[in-house]
Amino acid sequence: MGPEELRAALAPALGPSLVGVEPFEGFAARVRFRREGATELFRAVHGLGNTHLSMVAGIDWVDHREVLYIVWSDAAKQYTLLSADLPADDPHIETASGVWPSANWHERETWELVDITFDHHPDLRHLLTPDGYEFRPLLRSFKIHEPEELEVKVRHV
Amino acid sequence: MSEMWINMGPQHPMTHGLWNLRVKIDGEVIVDVDPELGYLHRGIEKISEDRHYNEVVTLMDRTCYVAGLAWEHLYIIASEKALHIEPPERAEYLRVMCEEFQRLGSHIMWFSAFVVDIGLLTPLLYGMRDRDLVLDLFQSYTGARMTYEYMRVGGVRNDLPPGFTDRARTVLDWLMARFDEYDKLTLGSDIFHKRCDNLGILKANDCIAHGVTGPMLRSAGVKRDLRKDRPYAAYDRVEFDVAGADSADVTGRYLVRMEEMRQSVRILRQVLDWLDRNPGPVMARELPRWLGAPYAPVGREGYLLKRNYPKGVGFSSIEEPHGEAQAYIVNEGGEHPYRVKLKSPVFSNISAARQYLVGYRVADIPPIMGSVDVCIGESDR
Amino acid sequence: MSSATLYSVSYDLVHAILAAIGSVLPYPGNVWITNPDLITGLAVLVFGAILLVATMLNTILLIWWERKLLGRFMDRRAAMHVGFAGLLQNFADGFKLFHKSTVKPREADTLGYLSGPTAYMVASLLIFGILPISSGWNSGALPLTLLLALAVFSFAPLFIFVSAWSSNNKYSLMGGMRSAAQMIAYEVPLLLAVVAVVIVAGSFDLTTIVYEQQNYWFWGPLFLALIVFVAAMLAEMERIPFDLPEAEAELVEGWNTEYGGMLFAFFMFTDYLRALIGSILVVLLFLGGWTMPSWVPAAATSFPLAGIVWLMVKTYIVFALFVWVRASLPRVRTDQLLRVGWNRMIPLALLSIFLAAVLVTVRCLPAFGCIPSLGT
Repeated sequence: MGPEELRAALAPALGPSLVGVEPFEGFAARVRFRREGATELFRAVHGLGNTHLSMVAGIDWVDHREVLYIVWSDAAKQYTLLSADLPADDPHIETASGVWPSANWHERETWELVDITFDHHPDLRHLLTPDGYEFRPLLRSFKIHEPEELEVKVRHV
Repeated sequence: MSEMWINMGPQHPMTHGLWNLRVKIDGEVIVDVDPELGYLHRGIEKISEDRHYNEVVTLMDRTCYVAGLAWEHLYIIASEKALHIEPPERAEYLRVMCEEFQRLGSHIMWFSAFVVDIGLLTPLLYGMRDRDLVLDLFQSYTGARMTYEYMRVGGVRNDLPPGFTDRARTVLDWLMARFDEYDKLTLGSDIFHKRCDNLGILKANDCIAHGVTGPMLRSAGVKRDLRKDRPYAAYDRVEFDVAGADSADVTGRYLVRMEEMRQSVRILRQVLDWLDRNPGPVMARELPRWLGAPYAPVGREGYLLKRNYPKGVGFSSIEEPHGEAQAYIVNEGGEHPYRVKLKSPVFSNISAARQYLVGYRVADIPPIMGSVDVCIGESDR
Repeated sequence: MSSATLYSVSYDLVHAILAAIGSVLPYPGNVWITNPDLITGLAVLVFGAILLVATMLNTILLIWWERKLLGRFMDRRAAMHVGFAGLLQNFADGFKLFHKSTVKPREADTLGYLSGPTAYMVASLLIFGILPISSGWNSGALPLTLLLALAVFSFAPLFIFVSAWSSNNKYSLMGGMRSAAQMIAYEVPLLLAVVAVVIVAGSFDLTTIVYEQQNYWFWGPLFLALIVFVAAMLAEMERIPFDLPEAEAELVEGWNTEYGGMLFAFFMFTDYLRALIGSILVVLLFLGGWTMPSWVPAAATSFPLAGIVWLMVKTYIVFALFVWVRASLPRVRTDQLLRVGWNRMIPLALLSIFLAAVLVTVRCLPAFGCIPSLGT
């Protein structure tokens, strides 16, 4: 399924929250969307045969954050990249774990490392870092070469 | 005995790594499980942001300590895409060889650990003995047995030493004979079938919904193998079959892995033949000069300084021994990658633990988790 | 059959030494020191000491034997550096364990924690005072040695459960419960299999049972009983495939998880002690004990202590079988184990009793011969 077909399939359900569908190396297409239409997009993409969610990732672009979903279709044997830009001061998006249960842990990881909150997530706890760990290590503002910032502050809960 | 939570881990013989499986049991029956990760989280993704592209390879070896070369391969494919570099064909074949030998090593390691989980001691030693042969081969051309640092952006560090392919073929012949011996020790025993048949069942639908990949998915009847479905490196130029089973249980996963090892041997024989016939360079000719620093790859022949190096995004997805591994690398033009995101198959496979553990008994946890093939280094990163 | 027994030898030894001392002492001392009660008491002590040392050395040799055999099964060499062929390796390991400090969990019950392993070992050592090792190497004329030995042998679950419960650890508790369930389940087929032997031999005395095997050993006609006995014995000894109570994959170390140092050594040692007892019982009940068939040349059976040597050879061969099983079989699951125990083992044991009754009715087997007590 090429970008054009994908746009045609997704546009009716999403309307204005579909920002664009563009070709991208390694993927069938890159679908950019606004977070308002996240759940509809997940449902629509899942309905197109992309039943397997490979990963959820977050990227800190300093001025904003980007959340990525990579899904795989067994029929087309292709990956599709879904991405949404989130404002840096209020990074949150609807959870995908209702559509793909595998998103559960990936979103927990993205939340604790890149500080993107997933609304209505069933179990948003720390996964790789200890409970009460205050830092978000994968943000660009977290510098690992400054020892004074390395002092781990763990709030005991 | 009423219901109680027990901690299987972080130091427990079942874990094969450093993680904690919290299990709620009623007598001997599992009522609920809650896996806890993070004991081995080293922040590899974060550290990568402060390393040269070639330095990150060192970290990839540490990501999964039984499949270091597969992770190097994963990272190298993605970073080459991000940096717009094409490796020579011989390097691609060498990488396929690395990955398949690594699959052999990893699966034999899995076999050794798995048989101990069901109480078989002898095959453990047999497995470790045979894995050593694979490690000897690694040592002869990478110089290391565990952390190889063999691949480079643009190719591989060095070519094979003389006589390597013949030695490798001898090892493959030996291994093929040993696989039958393994099967006799396990599948030949009624107790093995009593322990492993219809155990830890995870049907295809649940596998896909929970992101479970690799041998677990293939044992559920879904023949998804990225080497076939989405060929990378030289996999479109070798012949092999995708191993599969329909039982979706522990025995099925065992059968899939044993068959995969045999298919790996088949791939390796073709690759070794190709390598014998086609000598050539193992590094790309045109590389940005900054990529050579600080550790210059052996065999570089002409670096070109590229000004205004283009940005890019690299994505790779390979069939690692444990399943579908992915890397997403963002190149923002600097000497270091801007963001390295790694997806580990073990991470997803563990996350579905509740689906394949609840309802079985405490004594079933080791064989089930053993059949998942847990490698905490890569799930925690 | 020699008239000298181990006890009579130790009595004579003590008597000779005390008489020698008494002959040089002045009046009240020489009467006091040759007091028969004192001699008897000291003779018992010497008897016990000789037994203890012999048993311990044997058990340590047995551990070495298992390590070497396992090594060969696993394509490696096992212990080989301390002493000749690693014979002293176990002493080195033992000394290491003995000089480690005993770390008791804070919440553990001191009395149970300390007395459990001790009682476990002492109860198992007690059996060696009962087992006839050869014609002259038994403690004396007890008519029910077999019953007494098995009774003491079955003390173990109690002590295991005491130590498991008092160490206040969930894994220990689960291991202890499994151990109790398993040992009680397999006690029944074990005793039923023994009953088959007792029916044929007509005695509970192990010495008599051995002499009843002079025409043919019982393993042939009572093969079913032998199978049941060996399987039940494997479960009692908690060895693979029945080592669930200490299944290391899921229960860490089972009921001895919280034990370290010397107390752990007690458990480890006693496990092998029980393995030794089990192997000796198999030899005594089914493999003719210290006797050898008549086709063996007389020179091979008539040298001093020949009975002990042959019994030990047979015991080590039987134990090698157990090691072979350990090297080649996976572990079963608790419910499967109990199901096999109650549903398969007990019917088989009852069948073997029936076969024994048939054998007693037939009296003589054409290919084998007759059992002495039943006549021709």
